[in-house]
Amino acid sequence: MSSWLSFAHIVVLVVMLIAAFLAVVLKDLLPSVIALAAASLLLSLEFYLLHAPDVAIAEAGIGAALTMAIFIFAIRATKK
Amino acid sequence: MKEEMSRIVRTMTTLIYVFIMVYGFYVIAHGHLTPGGGFQGGSVVASAFALLVVTYGNQKTQDFLQKDLLSLLESTGLVIFICFAFFGLGATFFYNFLSNSGSLFGSSATIGVNPGNLNTGGTVTAMNIAVGIEVLAALGVIVLTMSQASETIEKKEK
Amino acid sequence: MKKSVFGFAFLFFVAFLLLSAFGMRPFGEPSFSEMDDYYIENAQAETGANNVVTTIVFDYRGFDTLGEATVLFTAVVGIVALFREVAK
Repeated sequence: MSSWLSFAHIVVLVVMLIAAFLAVVLKDLLPSVIALAAASLLLSLEFYLLHAPDVAIAEAGIGAALTMAIFIFAIRATKK
Repeated sequence: MKEEMSRIVRTMTTLIYVFIMVYGFYVIAHGHLTPGGGFQGGSVVASAFALLVVTYGNQKTQDFLQKDLLSLLESTGLVIFICFAFFGLGATFFYNFLSNSGSLFGSSATIGVNPGNLNTGGTVTAMNIAVGIEVLAALGVIVLTMSQASETIEKKEK
Repeated sequence: MKKSVFGFAFLFFVAFLLLSAFGMRPFGEPSFSEMDDYYIENAQAETGANNVVTTIVFDYRGFDTLGEATVLFTAVVGIVALFREVAK
């Protein structure tokens, strides 16, 4: 039980690091924003695994949905 | 963003957004019993607003989601929150004067692990609802304003 | 020169973080827990709400929530003022 939980922690954190690295590295703005949203969603999953469902709901709502929508509006407005 | 998206996305949005909103209002109303609260539920409802704006475009969304109404709702939520904080001023600021009093939200809770009663919590429940209204209106105003500005700028560039 | 200073500061910061990470207590065992014990034992009887986290956020630490709501309100006022010409 405990080993499965630590395995899930490690997998989620490693994938989150990869997504965050992609968000920095990618040259195109739209894939970068999507990688950022994926990192945010995985962070929400990690909060849930750490028994903090309050923070998980807030992170999923704001970090994954609203931030991504606002970033996409900004990209649409600034593209030439 | 000025055209609406394809038929598949529109159908799925009309199916799903009601459930997202109901889940958000559930999180707000049950904030004193289950995980969540005003801020979390408000952000969930506002993400449903964002889904509507992304799918249908700003123009069609603003036909039934007025920005001025949301702006008014936001100030109302904040004023209700501060009023509930000031009502407890007989003892201290933010005193929970409603709990265990027998009036609205005033039943005393059973001690221990139990599913809970909706009519408990005192000012915690009332402040949950006030903050929920404030947060959903604030984030909705942010999303609507940003999408409208994005649409206008895109139209002006062409 | 400037880059080496930044690199040295970065390494110092990482070493400090690692040192404090190895000296951390185990998860869920803080050193002082009198306040937590008080909340866990008395929050349900005092406020009548079952969710102790919401009780702390909205009752015991109400000023924090007031500041958070004010921050959100200020953000909305800033955004509406910023786009007052564009989004009519």
